[in-house]
Amino acid sequence: MASAEVRQIRRRIKSVESTMKITRAMELIATARIGRAQVRVAQAKPYTEKMNAVIANIASETGSLSHPLLERRDAKAAGVLVVTSDRGLAGGYNSSVIRIAEAAVRRHQAEGKLVRLYTVGAKAQAYFRYRKYQIDHVWLNVTDTPTYADARSVANILLDEYATERVDAVEAYTTEYVSALTQTAIRWPILPIEPPRVTGDIDASAPVSYTYEPSPEEILGRLLPRYLEGTVFGMLLEASASEHAARRRAMKAATENAEELTRLLTREANQARQAEITTEISEIVGGAEALSGG
Amino acid sequence: MAKAFQVDIVTPEAVIWSGEATMVSARTTEGDIGVLADHEPTMAALATGAVSIHHSDGVTTAGIHGGFLQIYRNQVTLLTDRAELTEGGLEEAREAARALRESSTEAPED
Repeated sequence: MASAEVRQIRRRIKSVESTMKITRAMELIATARIGRAQVRVAQAKPYTEKMNAVIANIASETGSLSHPLLERRDAKAAGVLVVTSDRGLAGGYNSSVIRIAEAAVRRHQAEGKLVRLYTVGAKAQAYFRYRKYQIDHVWLNVTDTPTYADARSVANILLDEYATERVDAVEAYTTEYVSALTQTAIRWPILPIEPPRVTGDIDASAPVSYTYEPSPEEILGRLLPRYLEGTVFGMLLEASASEHAARRRAMKAATENAEELTRLLTREANQARQAEITTEISEIVGGAEALSGG
Repeated sequence: MAKAFQVDIVTPEAVIWSGEATMVSARTTEGDIGVLADHEPTMAALATGAVSIHHSDGVTTAGIHGGFLQIYRNQVTLLTDRAELTEGGLEEAREAARALRESSTEAPED
């Protein structure tokens, strides 16, 4: 029968193995989710591109764009929107966003501005609440699979805060999905709206004169809130893809560590077992010798 | 047969419909608009309501939740944040549009 030591090591191996099963499953789930998130990013593209083209058209029609949502104001109150996940186990995903967001909050405060904090995801909420920051609005259960309704909810509240002059500018801190291996925490200006640059979609050499129904200004007024919703939606989708990518990487590393640990523990268990057998043999041999030597 | 042109209904979540059509009618904030081929370039704000697209296989209807209509070189794009294709003709499309409006005026969840 195995000794206490060997039994203990075997028990640890079992526990590590069952952890490994979980991390491997999470890795596979995250992989599937990245794929889905990327498809959604791609599906949102035509809408955003068209929207940009329409705004650019109006800009060329009216000479310059003018709308309250486009005007820079003296920033007395700065809004900071932090986009994180609801669940952890995603490596440095949340902490890198939170780090740059908190630095921004401090910077705004140092400049004597009032800071209003908006958070997406339970992680940002928990972090800032624990540190006694006042959070103006919280959205939860969004980043796993963001819907357009989520984006609209975020955009509407920010627009409302902006329109009532509770904030003079809003910037988001979120994660950009660069590739499956790289996701970077970035600052993303939201309000005032920065009009999209004219892209290749519009033929600048042959300007088209559109008939507008109603007037270009009125269309612009309807368009900009929708444009903001689209921007926020794109941002949330990217954050979601980044979250799943970060989680996949973290879980892959955890699975590999668990494999390594199992290998080490197995070796240790074998050594302990061998040592036990050796002791037993030498005891038997010693005993036999003592008897025969009499 | 009437001349055909390209029509796309685009939402942030997907391209809902894309294909060749001979006529499109929609409701803008200024009134109903009917589009045939070679329409002049137009940009219009859409009201929440029904859209019908006449094409070689019949008529497709959809309820849409506001948005924009762009006509440019025989290419008609309807940009809307939500749209729903309907089977049962205009009446059902109007019903779908009403449902979209009602669901979006609900208090935003947080």
